[in-house]
Amino acid sequence: MTLDVSAKPADLPLRPRRSPIAAGWTWLGVVPFLAFTFLFLIGPVLYLMVGAFQNAEGGFTLDNIIALGSPDIVASFSLSIRLSLVSALMGTIAGLVLAHAVILGGLSPWVRSAFATFSGVASNFAGVPLAFAFIATLGRLGLVTVLLRDLFGINLYSSGFNLFSFYGLSLVYLYFQLPLMFLIIAPALDGLRKEWREAAESLGASRRQYWQMVGLPVLSPTILGCFLLLFANAFGTLATVYALMGSGFDVVPVVLFQQIRGNVLYNPNLGYALALGMVVIMGVSNTLYLILRNRAERWQK
Amino acid sequence: MPQNALKALYLTTAVAVCASAAHAQAVDMDALVAAAKAEGTLTTIALPHDWCNYGAVIEGFKAKYGIEVNELNPNAGSGDEIEAIKANKDNTGPQAPDVIDVGLSFGPAAKAEGLIQPYKVSTWDTIPDSAKDAEGYWYGDYYGVLAMAVNKDVVTDATPTSFADLKDPKYASMVAIPGDPRTGNSSMMSVYAMGLANGGKGGAEAASAGIAFLKDMKASGNFVDVGGSAQNFAQGTTPVMMDWDYNILAMRDKLAGNPPMEVVIPSDGVIAGVYVQAISAYAPHPNAAKLWMEYLYSDEGQLGWLSGYCHPIRFNDMVDRGVIPADMMAKLPPADSYAKAIFPTLEEQGAAKQVVADTWATEMGTN
Amino acid sequence: MKKPVPYAAIAIALIGASYFVVPLLATFYFSLKMTRGELGFAAYASVFRSADFAATIVYSTIASLAAIAIGTLVIVPTAYWVRLKVPRLRPLMEFISLLPLIVPPVVLVFGYIRMFGSSSVLPLTASTFGTDILLVLGYVVLSMPYMYRAIDNGLSVIDIATLTEAAESLGASRFRTIVLVIFPNVRAAIISGAFLTFSISLGEFVLASLLNRPAFGPYLVQLGQDRAYEPAALAIMSFAFTWGCMALMQLFAIRKPGQRWFSRSTPRTATGSSA
Repeated sequence: MTLDVSAKPADLPLRPRRSPIAAGWTWLGVVPFLAFTFLFLIGPVLYLMVGAFQNAEGGFTLDNIIALGSPDIVASFSLSIRLSLVSALMGTIAGLVLAHAVILGGLSPWVRSAFATFSGVASNFAGVPLAFAFIATLGRLGLVTVLLRDLFGINLYSSGFNLFSFYGLSLVYLYFQLPLMFLIIAPALDGLRKEWREAAESLGASRRQYWQMVGLPVLSPTILGCFLLLFANAFGTLATVYALMGSGFDVVPVVLFQQIRGNVLYNPNLGYALALGMVVIMGVSNTLYLILRNRAERWQK
Repeated sequence: MPQNALKALYLTTAVAVCASAAHAQAVDMDALVAAAKAEGTLTTIALPHDWCNYGAVIEGFKAKYGIEVNELNPNAGSGDEIEAIKANKDNTGPQAPDVIDVGLSFGPAAKAEGLIQPYKVSTWDTIPDSAKDAEGYWYGDYYGVLAMAVNKDVVTDATPTSFADLKDPKYASMVAIPGDPRTGNSSMMSVYAMGLANGGKGGAEAASAGIAFLKDMKASGNFVDVGGSAQNFAQGTTPVMMDWDYNILAMRDKLAGNPPMEVVIPSDGVIAGVYVQAISAYAPHPNAAKLWMEYLYSDEGQLGWLSGYCHPIRFNDMVDRGVIPADMMAKLPPADSYAKAIFPTLEEQGAAKQVVADTWATEMGTN
Repeated sequence: MKKPVPYAAIAIALIGASYFVVPLLATFYFSLKMTRGELGFAAYASVFRSADFAATIVYSTIASLAAIAIGTLVIVPTAYWVRLKVPRLRPLMEFISLLPLIVPPVVLVFGYIRMFGSSSVLPLTASTFGTDILLVLGYVVLSMPYMYRAIDNGLSVIDIATLTEAAESLGASRFRTIVLVIFPNVRAAIISGAFLTFSISLGEFVLASLLNRPAFGPYLVQLGQDRAYEPAALAIMSFAFTWGCMALMQLFAIRKPGQRWFSRSTPRTATGSSA
């Protein structure tokens, strides 16, 4: 077969241009999901949105939205955001370290299975049982507190530790944040191919350099995604705070609960406005995450 | 149930309701029982089995009339019950509650929103006037007084007998209330009782005095801000906890001496809290609901509550008629503790709640 | 040459394990104290004696497995499609998938009752089976954040564009590509998502209680009222049960087609057989 080198580019067969109608069909692929979420997630949430703009009689009002600006509620949002950021940071770092050790650290495979299955359970171990487990461990009469006092003479509470504080609560949150991070980052760690590690080492990179220039950049979009998930997870936690902190910790879900559940306070419309506020915060943090992720994924394009 | 039969039932029920609202005494029990049995089910909400021995009361109702009882969300608060009625306005499935048992202030609120329907039980006249709505929309069912549970394993020396005792440094990190006063009725009443004990006169003053008292206790380290539950109590984190006397007595029975517990009604502030019953305006089984009310307000139902240590609303009437068994009376705390009980009125409760809502966060430094 | 002992990894694994195990030990120790003065299993006996334990846990297990199946079927094709064809929709998908974390479940279930109540267009609550379906779909929604994130992460590390092209150039339809190529490659991610879905659905309280279904969550709460030792015993038991179920799931999932359940007692001899 002879190659006709005189053929001009214009003579070469053109790629068939996609017709606009065919391009439209790709959107169909997400219709089942959108229909499902609209019926079973967004629909019910719309009730909430509408309720945020209503008063008790059902008329339209902006009072609830304005009430969101009151100092108490602003303080609640600030507290929630701080706690969620700290908790997400702790969970992300601890989860990454643990996942790396267990999956890539050269331990036997059964260790990974044990941690993976345990994480599945622990990621949802929250609320009263978790709070009680920590009270029974690190409370004033907890197992560890008493053991430290009787066996080692260390008085935990007089040295400044207090389970019933901001950082104590973050420690409790870690119990379900860490397993969540572990489970969600595991598939990504599996994707870190050994060949890259070997190639880097053959070029003389130390472990730290490998992680700094290859490992972490590859993982960073995933890590950011996990951070966002942990943030949202911490933000929406209610039962654990309530069970551990009694009346002393006004994060937004607690304030919401007071308004909707109310034996004392009872203004469900304000509760809906609070939920609307939470959705807006999620929107903002999601946007931030997208900006960061786009930057992190630049090298992949 | 076929649509026509349902419509017919609603029509007859409407007529019966009008009739019964007009003549409180003329309740035709046989017709009511028949109609209720035809409906076959009753849906309740927020009735934990260990609260006023509702478990036995429900079983008694089922055994007596053979009607199924559908129990929704035993953990619901009064607000949850109102929300459940609102959400189920157009739903006649088993998720719609027929009857509610809510705090006193929720009765008028529910009536104002048109969520409940009136019904006067056959024993209507023996219910004290202060505890019922004149038109029959809501009616008090039982009351209890605020008491203290003391874990004798942790509190090894003297048991406190009053709120003033609690300031003693030997009760450091021991005193707890059931939860958040902005969410739970019993916590709110604990603050109110503490306020009364510290010289506040009813209403808003009592709430402010109570908050000031708790703030002092928090500063001195006696107050532990963890919700007092049976579990925390037994574990030792909340060894002196407040709650309604019926809950504490039921807890004492359940714990059975492990840990040993003393029940104390504080000598300097005895607060009684009333709960009210009502029938949902959208109840899918209105006749079963009415039969339930008849049962609750009969001697049998009221004694059922008494076995759970709750004082039924017709207590005085039943004592006068001598229908309360002696052993049941013996199990209750001494009657003179109840003689001093103060029943906060609706207005006083409302004012106190407002004060708590406005000042708790800033006073107690929660955010 | 023997592999060096990974001291750092072992230390980290031990610290992680003790952080997880110690609070459970404290709960277990407390649950044994029901009989005064001695350690015993009275609390556990009390739980087993209660009639509804077996019925509710079976109901919840079935509902959770159904939620896993439906969740996988809804999310995997969608995540794949979005990554492959409409990447501009990714932000919207992620936002939607995170919504269930901040919407209080009580708002969700009241929304369901209003939208699917007995007088609506789709009266799911009017029948028991319809309500069961509503409950399972509610579980799918609640676990969507975790399922979506896990699967999305799994998809991000495989080159789906190349895999799809390869499959299509061999004549596979879209459907066959998804089933025979994509699903097996994200199996580990699906398992992670399945674990999370299972544990969320098993102990879920608000939806089951307000939709009035006999699930394990309401039973846990009912038994825990006013009791001190039984809730601790229940926490340990449900933890152990969930862990066991996950170990079973893991076993089923890792096994490759045709693989034996247990390794052969005698190794096969390497005979030369031409392929």
